[in-house]
Amino acid sequence: MQPSLHDAERRLAWLLLAPALLAVALLIAWPLYVIVQMSMRPGKALAISELMARPLGTANFDRVLHQQALWDAFGHSAVYTAGSLVPAFVAGLLFALLFHRAFPARRWLRSLLLLPWAVPGVVVSITFLWMLDASYGVVNAVLRDLGILSTDIAWFVDARTAMAAVLVPTVWKSFPFFAITILAALQSIPETLYEAARVDGASAWQRFRHVTWPGIRGPALLAALLNALWTFREFDIIYASTRGGPAGATETLGILVYREAFESFRFGTAAAIGVLMLGTAAIFVALSMRVLRREFT
Amino acid sequence: MLKRFVRAATATCLAASLAATAPAIAQTTLEFPTWQAEEPGVSTWWKDLVAAYEKKHPDVKINLQQVPFAQFVKQMTVRFAAGNPPDIVHLPSRDFASFADQGWLEPLDARLARTDIPANWPALQSEMHWNGKTQGVLLMGYGGMLYYNEQKLKDAKLGVPKTPDEWLAAMKATTDAGKGQFGLATITAEHPNMVVEMASFVIGEGADWLKAGKYNFTDPAVVQAVDQWRQATGYAPKGTNSATARQLFIDGKVTFLRDGPWVWGALAKAPADVRPNLRIGALPFPVTPGGASNSLHLAAKTDAKKKEAAWNFIVMAASPEWQSRYALTGSPAPRKGALTAADLAAHPHLKVINDEAAKAHNLFPEVQAVRAEYNDFATLVTRAAMRMISTQDPTPAVLSDLQAELARQLPLK
Repeated sequence: MQPSLHDAERRLAWLLLAPALLAVALLIAWPLYVIVQMSMRPGKALAISELMARPLGTANFDRVLHQQALWDAFGHSAVYTAGSLVPAFVAGLLFALLFHRAFPARRWLRSLLLLPWAVPGVVVSITFLWMLDASYGVVNAVLRDLGILSTDIAWFVDARTAMAAVLVPTVWKSFPFFAITILAALQSIPETLYEAARVDGASAWQRFRHVTWPGIRGPALLAALLNALWTFREFDIIYASTRGGPAGATETLGILVYREAFESFRFGTAAAIGVLMLGTAAIFVALSMRVLRREFT
Repeated sequence: MLKRFVRAATATCLAASLAATAPAIAQTTLEFPTWQAEEPGVSTWWKDLVAAYEKKHPDVKINLQQVPFAQFVKQMTVRFAAGNPPDIVHLPSRDFASFADQGWLEPLDARLARTDIPANWPALQSEMHWNGKTQGVLLMGYGGMLYYNEQKLKDAKLGVPKTPDEWLAAMKATTDAGKGQFGLATITAEHPNMVVEMASFVIGEGADWLKAGKYNFTDPAVVQAVDQWRQATGYAPKGTNSATARQLFIDGKVTFLRDGPWVWGALAKAPADVRPNLRIGALPFPVTPGGASNSLHLAAKTDAKKKEAAWNFIVMAASPEWQSRYALTGSPAPRKGALTAADLAAHPHLKVINDEAAKAHNLFPEVQAVRAEYNDFATLVTRAAMRMISTQDPTPAVLSDLQAELARQLPLK
């Protein structure tokens, strides 16, 4: 019996999908499997082979869930994610609206706008470390000259200001992503809608609310979701500027995982925290998908 | 004619094949990562030593690599854990035990017995014993030093401090943060050496945060000494690591720096108008804090040929000639008689460096369980130190919390 055309098409489809499936299995599924397995191997071990030979159990999860550092890190991650997402989104939106207008040198300035996004996180951290240096930084000097400060503030060293200090470079680095995404969405809104709104006597705020926002909402929310996920697992800016300090004030989940793995060499507990991070991110994505589905269907 | 051509061709091929294979057979490359390859003063000694070794052993090449100190122990741990240890192992001695405890280092007793090292090394060499075996050769035991800017003290009409109280008063008198002038440069950011800064005050005042095999952070004497350290950090710029602290002193921006004797070599880089004012002396504590600084080891899992070549390098570093040259860089060499009376007369700073090294009390933990987990210990102490620098929390409360956390994470049996 000859195979039907439908069967042949199915086989071809699987054949064409095979490389992608293989890549997903090798690059995503296998490492995830190893991490989940590692999260169930208890104790401290400097040799991974020794760790993986231990019996499976839930001791690592018991340990981390009873550790105050984990809950503190969850709190810091939430503050860090929200604290960078909101201002970066607002700044990106404002820049996008500005660059959507016609003015001289707009094309050049749009290219410049992308620069912070392209700079490596470590370089951004070093730059801001110098600018916000307690004793010799330009920010303290300017604030003192303006009479806003009477004494220098150790932005990255004072537990009260350290989180704000790491948020500044994070926002600076991430707002261009919003600006470019929203700018692209803005360009897809037909000018005729604005003309019609103007004819109807709509104010600038009403034009933004009823024409601009519905046009950019979908891409903007998608960008916000992606940025939130990136920020939630952020490592380089925080580690290069404060290493999670002072006294754990900026220790997010990403930093805690690093410390457990490469300072205390508890790869099992580090993997357990990683699995909890993954679960949190998955719940966040599942909740966001409802909203996104509404936007894109 | 044909015969001559064949003979010439054969000879050429043979010569070419010999030339191609000879170096590949003979050349052995030893990996040697260290945090001192670019450290002013001692780096010259390492480079000269490597060059002399390669000249003596033309079949061996040493690949000297610089790794920043803040990352060094982590990088080495990962290399050992991955089964890719360096051939010449250079370690901060405080971390030696955590490597030895993993069985990563080669016992050296049989090799040492064939040298004069046991007879000529100080008692501090016993720090290299683990599980009844000697697993390293001490390269430096030291006492902490006080570096000071004499001009700044003169401007403030002050002498060189002789007590901790005088020292704190001098720091205060020479601090003008608004003008970028500070009494002290010390580590005020998360850094592995922050423990050393704090321990210097504790041991210097004659206290100890590990007593009779137990944590002793709540002892009033320890609390008082830590309070002094905390007060001192108030006269120092914030967010400073060890390299920046040294640079601030060298640039003439601070009055005091507490550091090891190896910083002496870096003072040569000071601006011409600052250099004459930079001095070295003893720390103003009743007890000199110090200890084993760094040491050389062999990795247990390397091939025998490389192990032998690396051991020859260690023996050369420990030889009278190279120990003498090492001592002249300003780092106290362990070998007895490394410096002659003429050397000490010609370089007065070497006398104070060696005097302090001779009477130093070990500031690193000696309890076996803490030595084996030094990194965890240092991380928790550093976190408490940062809490004291970055918050107003009372010192006794911070130290009490630290003791409880240590008891939970690193229990002492």
